Amino acid sequence: MSTDTAPEVQPAASSPVDGPSRVRRELVRFMPLLILGVLLVLLSLRNPDLLTQRSLLTMADSAAPLMVLAVGITVVILCGGIDLSIGALASFASVLTALWVPTMSSAVVVPVVLVCALAGVVQGWIHIAARVPSFIVTLGGMSLWTGLALAFSGASTIAVTDLGALRWAFTRVGGWPSAILVALGLVAVLGAVLRFTPFGRWVSSIGHAEPAARLAGLPVSGVKIAAFGISGACAGLAGVLLVARTFSGAPTLGDSLLLPAVAAVIVGGTAITGGHGGLFRTVVGALIVVLLRVGLSLIGVDAGFEPIFYGLLIIIAVTVTIDRSKVAVLK
Amino acid sequence: MTGSPPVLSVDGLTKRYPGVTALDGMSFEVRAHEVVGLIGENGAGKSTLLKSLVGLVTPDAGTIRVRGEAVRLRGVAHAGSVGIGMVFQEQSLVPNLTVAENILLGAERSAVRGGVYRWRTMTALAQEQLDKIGSTIDPRARTDTLTFAQRQMVEVAKVLTIEERIASEPVVLLDEPTSVLERDEIATLFAQIERLRKRASVVFVSHRLDEVLEVSDRVYVLRNGRVVAEVDPATVDATDLHHLLIGRESGGSHYHDEAQHDCDGAPVRLRVEKLSTGGCRDVSFDIRAGEVLGVAGVQGSGREDVCRALFGAIRASGGRVTLDDRPFRLGSPRAAVRSGVGYVPSERRTDGIVPPMSVAENLSMAHVGEVCAGPVLQARRERGLVEQWVRRLGIKTPSPQTPIGTLSGGNQQKVVLARWMIDDDLRLLILDHPTRGLDVGAKSDVYALIRDLAAAGCAVLLLSDTLEETIALSHRVVVMKDGEVVTTVETPKGAKPDPVVILEEMV
Repeated sequence: MSTDTAPEVQPAASSPVDGPSRVRRELVRFMPLLILGVLLVLLSLRNPDLLTQRSLLTMADSAAPLMVLAVGITVVILCGGIDLSIGALASFASVLTALWVPTMSSAVVVPVVLVCALAGVVQGWIHIAARVPSFIVTLGGMSLWTGLALAFSGASTIAVTDLGALRWAFTRVGGWPSAILVALGLVAVLGAVLRFTPFGRWVSSIGHAEPAARLAGLPVSGVKIAAFGISGACAGLAGVLLVARTFSGAPTLGDSLLLPAVAAVIVGGTAITGGHGGLFRTVVGALIVVLLRVGLSLIGVDAGFEPIFYGLLIIIAVTVTIDRSKVAVLK
Repeated sequence: MTGSPPVLSVDGLTKRYPGVTALDGMSFEVRAHEVVGLIGENGAGKSTLLKSLVGLVTPDAGTIRVRGEAVRLRGVAHAGSVGIGMVFQEQSLVPNLTVAENILLGAERSAVRGGVYRWRTMTALAQEQLDKIGSTIDPRARTDTLTFAQRQMVEVAKVLTIEERIASEPVVLLDEPTSVLERDEIATLFAQIERLRKRASVVFVSHRLDEVLEVSDRVYVLRNGRVVAEVDPATVDATDLHHLLIGRESGGSHYHDEAQHDCDGAPVRLRVEKLSTGGCRDVSFDIRAGEVLGVAGVQGSGREDVCRALFGAIRASGGRVTLDDRPFRLGSPRAAVRSGVGYVPSERRTDGIVPPMSVAENLSMAHVGEVCAGPVLQARRERGLVEQWVRRLGIKTPSPQTPIGTLSGGNQQKVVLARWMIDDDLRLLILDHPTRGLDVGAKSDVYALIRDLAAAGCAVLLLSDTLEETIALSHRVVVMKDGEVVTTVETPKGAKPDPVVILEEMV
């Protein structure tokens, strides 16, 4: 340490800032919107009726449960975790809804969402307290909620006859399907919480750099448990919306939505490694997933082949968005 | 030693990380059958150098020559194929395999036929390697049943498998091999090194001076990523070596000595009694308000454990701590922060900052309540606060919204310090190597901030990479060795002791 003055090392503009390069990050930010636009154009060339307000709204309506699920899991993924139980939890919620409508009527949404939020909190708590990866806890949870849904429903579909009780979820308000308004309302409320309270910063700090967040004194465990609670609550709400679409609750009703929901989050540009991303991106991602589904049926692909395409979509989107600086060992 | 080229020569090796120059034109050479010692303080560049020599780090500039031929190393296996092998400090054996499997891992040769292990051949081949070092370890033993010293011998045997792959003698790098060994095990290791030099060249890296002097033919002293001296152990004076190791900063003003505030008579802020963790035992000391207390010690002295346990970052197994005469429960970092304790971690990029997030978000992180009304963030109030601190600390950033990861190390560290300084009630700040990886100018700025904090009445617990820095900044220095406090040295303004006095207590 003699008098030699080490030159101040300023990282060059091109040097990585802990994560994907600048070009990649910009690409990840705008690509989803671009893809959405291109898809709309392509689909309307094939079928001009698609761009009518009516068909767009119908499509959006069908996207509502998916969007609600995807928004919830976004919070968990931003923290750097994953919640695989949301599809099964939504199914469980649909069963509870169908069972409880006769006694509770419209108020049924409150206890169902609370029960599912609690289910999420319990999973989050186990993840934190027992130091088990969230992937494992929620994989176990997935089976657990499916089992409970089967037990409660007697392994059969329960029809809902009191249509009035859930009318709020399948009516129209000022020409808009109410389900999509519920989903957008949720996005607005949750988006505001993430944007205007410290909670959002805590979530992304934890996702980007958990050790730094912990050593700055952030309530890391509390935030993570809350994220799983939010994810659970959203799964509950999605379950109620599913019942309003099909007028029945069934123990596997929401199961097939897990993959599209995860795909929506990742295609929207949220990194599976945590930190980078946001709710608005997930909304765009959910619209892309729905448009692709419509597009597939337009070109005559059987709905039975959809899982193939979700699988490919997730792998490709993760390849583009993953933050490899955080993955020391690939497992 | 002229004629044939050195077995290994390193010329002008340079490696820069954002904000840090780890290697700054490092040059040295190793000749046949020679034991070369490398010594240097933390951050001198030892570990980056070794990683470059086995291909785990790609240098930005400079050349590595093996027997006169320049090589670009691509990894441990490639380094082995040109004759360089390393015995890692954090051992690299797979615990649930046998000794034989570990020795031949990746170099099974005839021990595998048709993809299937041939156990007898494998045991025999491994025994051959163990015989080279005269070891009596059973090649069929499971590795996790061995002691640390035995596993180290297995690593040495494993490194010697390089001999079968190359035509000439290998270079064996030993990274801090004695750090967890007992005294008699160290004697065995040294005997082994003497044996090893008959068939190889050895590079011995350690921070224990006496050991390096004992085993080495020549010693290179490293500082700030370069070789500052080459000494002959037979003639060198230990005090001279200490001075070479510590170095001299350019004059007293660097540390703002004149700004050291007098804290005699100030009340005791933090009292620690018999604090124990996994790495320290019964540590007791106290810090007055406005006092900077330095903790000196080599690697393994347990000083990091003390400060991390006080902040709740690691678990304490016992001890009583009071803060302003009130019991202070050691729990989580969150609880510590709420009691008015701050912590600047040593690993800035992973533990100190959230690189992709903005300067403003990083600065208000720990005390976000200061910029909130109820649960809602007040963007304007935050901008005002951040701009005020950016000005006050001279933080060079294009804007408060710039991701902190793009700033230089010194500016990042100022933001981390500001994170704690915005709290008016900050009572104790724990600085875990606060100037690690900073350039000279940024270090000086950080020193000035530490002086200001102390003058404002905050107690400061300081761990630093260099002794000189510790002594210059502190009012008192607690010296730790092997997990215990050995002595406390007064270091008042104008009467700073010679670092060598403290160094002799440390090692």
